[in-house]
Amino acid sequence: MAKISLRGVEKRYDGALVLRDCNLEIADREFMVLVGPSGSGKTTLLRIIAGLEHVSAGDVLFDGARVNDVDVGDRDIAMVFQNYGLYPHMSVYDNMAFGLRRRKLAPSDIDARVRRTARMLDIEPLLGRRPRQLSGGQRQRVALGRAIVRDPAVFLLDEPLSNLDAHLRVQMRAEILKVHRAVTATAVYVTHDQVEALTMGDRIVVMNHGRIHQVGTPGELYDAPVDRFVASFIGTPQMGFVDCRIERDGERIALATQAARIVASDTHRHALAAIDATGVTVGIRPECVTLASENEARDADVAVRGTVQAVEMLGAEQYVHVATDAGALTARVPRSRSVKVDEAVTFVASARDVHLFDRETGRALR
Amino acid sequence: MATAVSRHVASARRASRVVQIVAIGLALFWSLAPLYWMLATSFKTELEAARLAPTPWPHAFTSENYRGLFTGELPFLAFFLNTLITCLATAIVAVIIATPAAYALSRARFRLRGTIAYAMLVFRMLPLVVLLAPLYLLLLHAKLLDTHTGLVVGFVTFGLPFAVWMLKSFIDAVPIEIEEAARVDGYTRYQIVRKVVVPLILPGLLTTATFVFMEAWNNLIYPLTFVTTLDKQTLPAALVLTFTGQFKTDWGGMMAAATLTTLPLMIAFFAVQRSMVRGLTSGAVAGA
Repeated sequence: MAKISLRGVEKRYDGALVLRDCNLEIADREFMVLVGPSGSGKTTLLRIIAGLEHVSAGDVLFDGARVNDVDVGDRDIAMVFQNYGLYPHMSVYDNMAFGLRRRKLAPSDIDARVRRTARMLDIEPLLGRRPRQLSGGQRQRVALGRAIVRDPAVFLLDEPLSNLDAHLRVQMRAEILKVHRAVTATAVYVTHDQVEALTMGDRIVVMNHGRIHQVGTPGELYDAPVDRFVASFIGTPQMGFVDCRIERDGERIALATQAARIVASDTHRHALAAIDATGVTVGIRPECVTLASENEARDADVAVRGTVQAVEMLGAEQYVHVATDAGALTARVPRSRSVKVDEAVTFVASARDVHLFDRETGRALR
Repeated sequence: MATAVSRHVASARRASRVVQIVAIGLALFWSLAPLYWMLATSFKTELEAARLAPTPWPHAFTSENYRGLFTGELPFLAFFLNTLITCLATAIVAVIIATPAAYALSRARFRLRGTIAYAMLVFRMLPLVVLLAPLYLLLLHAKLLDTHTGLVVGFVTFGLPFAVWMLKSFIDAVPIEIEEAARVDGYTRYQIVRKVVVPLILPGLLTTATFVFMEAWNNLIYPLTFVTTLDKQTLPAALVLTFTGQFKTDWGGMMAAATLTTLPLMIAFFAVQRSMVRGLTSGAVAGA
């Protein structure tokens, strides 16, 4: 059990800044997910928490105590690596017992712990095998077992499911969460897969270019992204964006392009009144738009016309990708609605489902 | 038309195959002919071996030359043991020194790392004789001339750069996550090298040791220079010193001794040839 704090953490490699001013509080027993595209700095941040990398500036605190200079072996952490990092020359049993032997535990205690953990992860029959004799899923379980057998205060996982097939990944997600609940350790989990992040994290840290963009619960990130990057990164398929003009007529504010007409909600009107920009980016999630006739569109808060570029059939529903004169939108529509490529369509949405972003900074306007 | 083209392709393929076989045959002949001559001469009588018109194979087959090595006046067994002991000691010492050096060059990040690594490689390119005078002076002042320890120092000095480079390539191939996992498990660098890295590169250590052993075994000039007492001499130097005389050379005996000198080398090479090639080429292709 441990509370982790990062205060103004920065990391430079050969002068290049790869992490900038990272501030984060991870509560005791929390399952925190670091998510972002390749090169966003999430793994570097995890390695800094582990002690495998030193910070260039800032502090890392465990339960309020500064651990910048505490060696990785003394931080009471356990880590699951992307490529598992199992010791190839040792049996599964020895892989799990290796860390316990370093702590000079009694052999009987080591044996009891290894067997208890192996039972919990259903790998007891594999204890005598070498890592090369195991499947990917089994190796993953052994790596998890090696981490939890030590009963660490902090449990770090670096993209542990990226080498597994889709089916196994879903199964292991549930397994990891079950293990986390059982061990009551604080967990920090790195992934580039936002679905994994949304389904696993108590809270999620969204990172890009070495910067923390937003920290929040999956719901907060989805419903109230702080900027355009978070809005586009969280959610599948991603949010559609259309650049609109701001048309001000006294109190009345409307957003428009040649093909779109959007009546700003009260909240948005206040946000737009506070800025003097002439344009804004409008974001709409696929599930918030519906295909409508020209008549239906006339009375809607939001109406956007465009041409269908592609249709993705997903069984019960389909994603319709539409190009407009000022951006691209995606709509999730029922299978029953027939849509063809190159067809001219009109989308409608409610004003409260619209997200507005500053065109220059990408910050959300609320 | 199609048949004519396929006939042409088939005959071109046949011609290229013939060229390949001839080239391989020539290379094999070039390499194996001296070995064959050594083996054949070792079974010839003294008279037949010294004949001006040489016979391609022994007409009067004899094993007298081999028997003579162990029953004659020359301390052949002592030469053999001298070589074995100095070469084994060289291999062990070289690997013990090279392992931490290779680990540092592979894993540690420090200024001049690349320069030091390449300086070692340059050192390796120097001819054996370049080191002869400095090593002689060093051994003279350390009072190690005419001793097996001095010989081992000489052999190790020359074999070390290659051993470091070869071991570095084996250590490079060990995924860093495995070491990091051991760090997370609480082990120190030294313990990680001992308990994780060394067991993982064991084939590499054996290969490197064998290579250094073979090099030391083949070294003629150092024993000739640093060792003056015949009883302390190694096999290659003893072959030159004892079988060639001012008026007569015992070709049969010399070739029998040469055969027995070559045998351990060939056994050692065939034992590690696979991992030796892997060690020399690792990192040459992605994923290797």
